[in-house]
Amino acid sequence: MSELATAEFARMIRREIVELAHRSGGPHVGSALSCADILATLYGEILRFDPWEERDIFILSKAHAATALYAALAVKGIITPELLAGYCKNGGKLPAHLDRLSAPGIECSAGSLGHGFNVGLGMAFGFKRKGSAQRVFALVGDGETQEGSIWEGALFAPQHGLDNFTAIMDYNNLQGYGRPREICSFEPVIAKWESFGWQVAAVDGHDHQALAAAIAGPTAGKPRMIVAGTVKGKGVSFMEDQLIWHYYIVTDEIRERAMQELA
Amino acid sequence: MRNRFIDTLIAAGEGRDDLIFLSGDAGLGVFDGLRRDAPGSFVNMGVAEQNMAGFAAGLAMTGHKVVMYNIIPFLLYRCYEQVRNDICYQGLPVIMAGIGSGITYAPQGMSHYSIEDLGIAATMPNLAVISPCDATEARAAAEYALSADQPVYVRLAKRGEQAIHTSAVTDISTPLKICSGSDCALLFHGSIAEEVMAAAALLEEDGISVMLISVPMVQPLNEDALVDMLGPVRLVVTVEEHYEHSGLGSSLLWVKSEADPGWRLKTAGIPRQFIHEVYDCKGLRRLFGLDAVQLARKVKGWLADE
Repeated sequence: MSELATAEFARMIRREIVELAHRSGGPHVGSALSCADILATLYGEILRFDPWEERDIFILSKAHAATALYAALAVKGIITPELLAGYCKNGGKLPAHLDRLSAPGIECSAGSLGHGFNVGLGMAFGFKRKGSAQRVFALVGDGETQEGSIWEGALFAPQHGLDNFTAIMDYNNLQGYGRPREICSFEPVIAKWESFGWQVAAVDGHDHQALAAAIAGPTAGKPRMIVAGTVKGKGVSFMEDQLIWHYYIVTDEIRERAMQELA
Repeated sequence: MRNRFIDTLIAAGEGRDDLIFLSGDAGLGVFDGLRRDAPGSFVNMGVAEQNMAGFAAGLAMTGHKVVMYNIIPFLLYRCYEQVRNDICYQGLPVIMAGIGSGITYAPQGMSHYSIEDLGIAATMPNLAVISPCDATEARAAAEYALSADQPVYVRLAKRGEQAIHTSAVTDISTPLKICSGSDCALLFHGSIAEEVMAAAALLEEDGISVMLISVPMVQPLNEDALVDMLGPVRLVVTVEEHYEHSGLGSSLLWVKSEADPGWRLKTAGIPRQFIHEVYDCKGLRRLFGLDAVQLARKVKGWLADE
């Protein structure tokens, strides 16, 4: 997909995020918007789906941003509009956090932080053991890396040279109740992951070209961590870098204003 | 029973590329042969239980049959949420082999006991739970787990358990009658079997006819088969090295409330308390009235109450 097309993909994801949030009255709009460009790049330019049985795997470990994934899968045509219409509806199929058995393309159930990352390591190991070229990508939140399970996996993965595993950190610098550095800092993030034996790259998480270059770059026999600098609520000016948009719901008026910006 | 269980799995793994064993840095010696003969089928995951359980789920999602090995608290408690969300909620056929059932490890302390694991397992509705009483049941449990298309938790003691069965067990999924009797039925699972067998012998000496039933598959419990088997006995007693309020005893209370049978139910297990007392396994059994002599005495008392 060209840069223009990826930008359009990201815009469509953002519009769908706002629509889904408006319709459901659910939170985490800012968290979903911050990773829209990462998902557009992955689904537009990186992930291989043909043949489906040997596809690359994307795991949304920060599953509170599920609307971003549902939107990407819908734009990509992997889930149907009917499935999407049932998001958070009584009798619908798609819950606010992820259920692997709910729809195609949901590669891992998630919702509690610090799970998808480790499941992804297991999948990467399994693919390598089978001699499969399938790759695994897992998107983690910055706050999510305060989970102990993340660091268990961080220690483990280099031991086994899992270079078919790429973690991407959505570093939007706002977790549930403040800035990470004010709560439980994981800085210096690059030095930490490098010292654990990971190949680390830092990139602007809203620059599709830079993201694609970093993700598609060579691996050196190590698992990779791509630290993607992002802005929570990106794309809707009054949501950007605002903690409240971890929780606030999208009213009719908010929807109207947001959609004008995302037109 | 532990080695019989693991060795049965390893033997089945010969010629099977999908079978892989994960250990949480536990089981010294148990996997030596496997590590020598098939090093690619064993991974020591280190002391990192959350990663191990999530990793096991991921491996299973790539078509592997995964055996996860650890002592029970580190298999089921430390990483409960990974077992719940990653393995069970996703319906993955991971085999969880837990060592040190009940108070096997006494006097190692509460951190190493597993007297609430059945209660915890009961919160995961698709998890099959097998608590073998001897090596014969352990073998059958391994065979069941290998062919299962759902998660299976096997609750094992360790070594040196008394042999209860004299012939092979063909169906581990149903209660197994060890001997018939008409006055009362003693139901048990796991390594407490040796105390139950000895208690039954004492009762028989006093002219009491005892039916003995091993219930290896605690979850899901084959309730119909069990109720049929119990038939006209007047008194049913569950005996387990587990909290009596969240194990087989409480499952039987459920059965009794549903089936409205003619028998009375009494439970023998570990009371609602943390264990601060320092004794070996035999000593703790005596402390909690789970040794053969006290079990026989209790059963006589309950029969006399009628």
